[in-house]
Amino acid sequence: MNSIIIGQYVPGDSIIHRMDPRTKITIIFFFIFIVFFANNVTSYGLLVVFAALSVFLSKVPLQFIAKGLTPIWFLVAFTFILHLFVTKEGELFFDFWIFEFYTGGVMQGLAISVRFFLLILVTSLLTLTTTPMEITDAIEDMLRPLNKVKFPVHELALMMSISLRFIPTLMQETEKISKAQASRGVDFKNGPIKARIKAVVPLLVPLFVSAFKRAEELAMAMEARGYQGGYGRSKLRQLQIGKIDIMVYLVFIAVIAGLFLTRTYG
Amino acid sequence: MDITFKNVTYTYQPNTPFEHTALENMSFHVKSGSFVAIIGHTGSGKSTLLSHLNGLQVPTEGEVTIGDYRLSREHKPSDLKELRSKVGVVFQYPEHQLFEETVEKDIAFGPENFGVPESDIKKRIEKASRAVGLSPELLKRSPFELSGGQMRRVAIAGVLAVSPEVLVLDEPTAGLDPRGQKEMMDMFYQLHREEGLTTVLVTHSMEDALKYADYVIILNKGAKYMEGRPEEVFTQKEALQKVQLDVPEIVQFLTAFNQKFHTSIPFQKQSEKELARSIQQVLKGDEEK
Repeated sequence: MNSIIIGQYVPGDSIIHRMDPRTKITIIFFFIFIVFFANNVTSYGLLVVFAALSVFLSKVPLQFIAKGLTPIWFLVAFTFILHLFVTKEGELFFDFWIFEFYTGGVMQGLAISVRFFLLILVTSLLTLTTTPMEITDAIEDMLRPLNKVKFPVHELALMMSISLRFIPTLMQETEKISKAQASRGVDFKNGPIKARIKAVVPLLVPLFVSAFKRAEELAMAMEARGYQGGYGRSKLRQLQIGKIDIMVYLVFIAVIAGLFLTRTYG
Repeated sequence: MDITFKNVTYTYQPNTPFEHTALENMSFHVKSGSFVAIIGHTGSGKSTLLSHLNGLQVPTEGEVTIGDYRLSREHKPSDLKELRSKVGVVFQYPEHQLFEETVEKDIAFGPENFGVPESDIKKRIEKASRAVGLSPELLKRSPFELSGGQMRRVAIAGVLAVSPEVLVLDEPTAGLDPRGQKEMMDMFYQLHREEGLTTVLVTHSMEDALKYADYVIILNKGAKYMEGRPEEVFTQKEALQKVQLDVPEIVQFLTAFNQKFHTSIPFQKQSEKELARSIQQVLKGDEEK
């Protein structure tokens, strides 16, 4: 479970950490779009350089990112191989038994793999350098226009932040209870499937009981402190666009411009 | 069962920015049949140490031996069930582990998992619930209807019903009222004596450690800081204060008394009554002079 890094925050004080979360989300949103516009080596190179630079600036240890991406390698490899077999374009360059490999397949496979890899890398960089609270704050702020159509933006954001807040708590709780039940002879790892499914009951029941108890306590605590919804509520953490953000936007616009130039002329 | 830690180190999430060494080069020995108290502040590695006692965690380096079981990174037995049936662990707030429909079923859960024959289980439920002081009419009730204290008793009965040889207790009295605390500790002590258990108690309370333990291990920041007999450890005020631990009240009192009256009554783990008597003797002796 420790190898999954999506959603795990690595504390730090790098430029990427200090950026306004709205900037990060906006840039990643557009990055996801433009990844699909790259069509040759130069344009892909440009995107890779941009992503690599972001990783470098974030100062998140490389081996940590690499380790976190291990589950993704399988998917990347899978799509690559699929393209290798299925795409029959370009010249035939290798022929083995009933399989024929074409250059187009290799290129296509490489391109898709790079795309995939970039998408995962950039999005995990967001969660690695931004606390869940910052992300919800940013989402709340960015969705604010929806308030006009009576969409409960604040409530949605609150629900998000509460659930994010309780993920580590519930994980700890799960670990605690599974340890307790393992000590009482439950085997979660070995045995036939049926027994293992049954082993989940002693884990889930206490987990649900405590989750409901927690929810009740939280609701009570919020009410005791005068919470009554989003209207008129001030904020402790104000989001502010700073110099870094403007510079990052400029760089990103340059990247987009570069991408379209290399796309047409490269 | 004898418990031996040999140069045990445990690291959480190695090779990540979250790497954290919870135990460092820890060595100690617990004799079979003894009552050991492990004391330390939050984050001193108590819980991690405890998880090593029944193979929930296996040392990153070093070796743990429990009875015939050897646990190390190179030597990981695949089946820990037998070990776990011999080492009963009462975790902190054990009432959180209850899940069955009735108290009786919940107590039977452990023994069933360890393959205790059906005919024995009934007897064990009876014995365990008597040991923790649960009245028989509660057995058919849902554990979630009970009060907090009763729930804890049910959970403890569930551990005892496995009839372990080693009993590990992680702050078993946390959150109970003073009377409940005393009752519970007395109960564990009685079990320890009667069943000849090896007991490992993790606690914050110096008083409990002094009263029940015959060996004390003090942890600080994942390393062993002090160990010895309670009367040896608890009279070293300076060393204890360095790790923000207090001397038990009775020792504090005796030190202050000795200073004030220029006496030198030694501390030998006497009870309050015994101490009162020796003080009386010393003071009377003074008058006669």
